Amino acid sequence: MSDYVLLTDATQFISTNSATLLYNQLTVPSLQQITHPAKLESLALFRELIQDFCQDINVEVLYDIQLAVDEICTNIILHGYKDMEPASITLKLEFDPAEIKISITDTGHPFQPKQPPDINLHATAEEREIGGLGLSFVFMSVDDLQYESTASGNITRLLKKI
Amino acid sequence: MEISNQDFKHCTLLAVKGRVDSSTAPQFSQALADVAEKGMYKIVVDMTELEYMSSAGFRALLATQRDCKKYNRGELILSVVPERIREALELAGFTELFKLFDDNTAAVGHF
Repeated sequence: MSDYVLLTDATQFISTNSATLLYNQLTVPSLQQITHPAKLESLALFRELIQDFCQDINVEVLYDIQLAVDEICTNIILHGYKDMEPASITLKLEFDPAEIKISITDTGHPFQPKQPPDINLHATAEEREIGGLGLSFVFMSVDDLQYESTASGNITRLLKKI
Repeated sequence: MEISNQDFKHCTLLAVKGRVDSSTAPQFSQALADVAEKGMYKIVVDMTELEYMSSAGFRALLATQRDCKKYNRGELILSVVPERIREALELAGFTELFKLFDDNTAAVGHF
């Protein structure tokens, strides 16, 4: 590294940064998976995993991913496992140089997340719809959302460009 | 998440610190309801040390705002809102519903 410090050429400087970036990508595991009970207390544990996984990613991307996962998992916990024995949620994170792929698997009632209607910005506090905000946040925070319900469980796949 | 209260002559300042998600929002919601139950409907929520807030926290704010604005008896205002949370407020259209202040002195002085 000290050799690079001596170089003043801009191109060399950029390549040093690229080397550091590459180094970080190689040292951070490119795939992580964790399963926790479908309880609200698990939300903090999922956020921690995302934080560890995204330590070299800018904080805005990190926040967006944490928020999207939080909202999806909250829906699964409160609605997906309604009137049934709560099982678990599995969160999988996969690194790609240009994007992070996130998958959330549960075995509750299938629930396809849909983009809520546009928020009426002119509604008063009294008129404002109280539901749907979580899903609005999800769609605002990620670049793509795919949902699949199979015999082995429901999978919500999120994609975040970095 | 941690909450602390400070009573002023014309309002209560409630500082919320850390992370508000669906698991901690009920506690946040209860703290806001406790202030209103004392008959104090002029509330400043100080967000200086707020790191994160999901939709559950926003819903608690909206429910309290509805309660406070009833009969024109008061309102809930927000102070020192971190950038990322301000963006979420804007996207949710909440900047139309809550007045935002850059510091607590100005916020408390609003009442």
